[in-house]
Amino acid sequence: MVLKEIDSNKFRDMVRVATHRMGRNAEFVNSLNVFPVPDGDTGTNMNLTIESGAKAVAENPSTSVGDLTESLAKGMLMGARGNSGVISSQLFRGIYKATQGMKTLNAQELANAFSNGVATAYKAVMKPVEGTILTVARVAAQEGANKANETDDVEEVMEAIVDGAKKSLKTTPDLLPVLKQVGVVDSGGQGLLFIYEGFLEGILGENFADRYQPDEGEMDEMINAMHHQSVQTQLSTQDIENGYCTEIMVDLTADIPNKKPFNLEEFRNHLSEIGDSLLAVSDDEVAKVHVHTEHPGEVFAYGSQFGQLGKIKIDNMRIQHETIVNDSDEQQESVDFAVIAVASGNGVRKLFESEGVNRIISGGQTMNPSTQDIIDAIKKSGAQKAIVLPNNGNIVMAAKQAAEVSEIPVGIVPTKTISQGLTAMLSFDPDLSVEENVDSMTEDLEAVVSGEVTQANRDTTINDVEVHANDYLGIIDGDIEVDHPDLVTATVNMVEKMLDEDSEIITIMFGRDSNKKQADEVVANLEAKHDDLEFEVHDGGQPVYNFLISVE
Amino acid sequence: MAVKIKTKNGLIDISNGVIATVVGSAATSNYGVVGMASKNAIRDGVDVILNRANYKRGVVVKSEDNEITVDVYIIVGYGLKISEVSRNVQDSVKFSLKNQLGIDTRAVNVIVQSVKVLDE
Repeated sequence: MVLKEIDSNKFRDMVRVATHRMGRNAEFVNSLNVFPVPDGDTGTNMNLTIESGAKAVAENPSTSVGDLTESLAKGMLMGARGNSGVISSQLFRGIYKATQGMKTLNAQELANAFSNGVATAYKAVMKPVEGTILTVARVAAQEGANKANETDDVEEVMEAIVDGAKKSLKTTPDLLPVLKQVGVVDSGGQGLLFIYEGFLEGILGENFADRYQPDEGEMDEMINAMHHQSVQTQLSTQDIENGYCTEIMVDLTADIPNKKPFNLEEFRNHLSEIGDSLLAVSDDEVAKVHVHTEHPGEVFAYGSQFGQLGKIKIDNMRIQHETIVNDSDEQQESVDFAVIAVASGNGVRKLFESEGVNRIISGGQTMNPSTQDIIDAIKKSGAQKAIVLPNNGNIVMAAKQAAEVSEIPVGIVPTKTISQGLTAMLSFDPDLSVEENVDSMTEDLEAVVSGEVTQANRDTTINDVEVHANDYLGIIDGDIEVDHPDLVTATVNMVEKMLDEDSEIITIMFGRDSNKKQADEVVANLEAKHDDLEFEVHDGGQPVYNFLISVE
Repeated sequence: MAVKIKTKNGLIDISNGVIATVVGSAATSNYGVVGMASKNAIRDGVDVILNRANYKRGVVVKSEDNEITVDVYIIVGYGLKISEVSRNVQDSVKFSLKNQLGIDTRAVNVIVQSVKVLDE
């Protein structure tokens, strides 16, 4: 039977089924989302957008299709979420404009509506990126228009639109390199295809399953995308709720005792209760299922009611995930040339790590690591050669001893302060030998003046400086030079002494016993007098020293 | 003012012009944004659409530590959900700055200077 026109009831069906289809597949669309921002919400956004449109349609009692397309477009506009949501709202705005005042739609009018949708959608973009939802919409509308020239059957036109969208979606990775890189199709385009498929399903009603079948290849692509998603989200192993990735094929033609009639919808609904990441497709002969569940046995038992089980596959995703995590840990450890630094304080550690230090040994003024600690760190690095930055005068000896007994070549850069260590790291080059690195890294130490601010614990006189207990001391390259009861003043005075005409950059790390506000005060004080200096403030989190300062 | 990033091989200094180009390109790649507008609406006109070379007139960058705040002045197509288009601009600007320049953005403020009616 040829369907000549879409009336308001048919259109309501189309919108309802499309919304349902989009909703059911929202998670899958999310998993494809890498462009323009890989935030994994395209499916959610498109779903909310079309739901808002569907709600407006449901609330409109009109029996005219033109009125309903208007409600759909307005509802989608109001509920538009995300880029893909805004684009689809505009697409349907164009469809509404083309169908204004029409009570029903014939094949030609349907095709025109989609074409006008695409024309409108393309207007609101400065530089259309091909390989996105816009491309999919455009090719789909084209195919629809071609088909409308041949037939007046709206079913065939809608089918052509769906096929066009599907064909175009497959080409998106070739048009958009970022998709190819990740190995997925465009998420927005996929979302639109689900909506269009829903329209077709709405038109065909119960005949949909006979006329329209997803193919095996699509299923495999979807499974890949699902797993791509699992790797992408860096969850910890304990967070995996459903631990077994289970895949079965059910041969629906096989004769088995007490065979139940197969209904894909029911089948999906049941499985979605015992697992997630569900994908299920079927034709008359075979159903194929992919699901993540805690109970793979239940999936088999359920599937086997409808026919014989063909291919069966279970992967324990927790073990897989642990392996991935462990592998990456090991990769991190097996560097060829390791740099090991002694440091304390989270911020300081992070600074060292950001400069390429592979291992940090906890330590500093009050807790010096032993020779053994340093040897252990060298061993654990698994490297063929290593550089150690003691970052404290008291640790240099221990480090040198460790280097002597180590089985691999180890060079010591005699850094006496954290600042020196950070500066030395700037010259590290893993392609050079240990000796060359020690030379170039040590050379730079002269360019940096290190200052440390800490609190005095007793009265004394050193280097002609009178030190009072609880005053703040400014220590420049290991010598106490400043004493002042106020932290900020002591620090500013110390930095003043560190400056010469070549000074350019001042790095200030505030420690556990000081804060950013105090650091900013120091900067403000110094900036007032020296407008040619640049300041950098970091949260070092180090104990003992209120401020670690380097002047370069 | 510019953004400075310290690496193991030295200092990277990214000028505001570079940031403005990245921000402008990210903003205009969003669906519904029909152009960048000038921050000086009175001097340059409210709905003058800037070309790529002039993006910096529609972008204000303020930097602090390794984080920046940007103001983006845009023109949006009529008939679109302006709040949503603007939110998409925020997302993509933030993403592009992190992705292309490695800069964290504290805030992306979108100022819709004008709405352009696209012929139906």
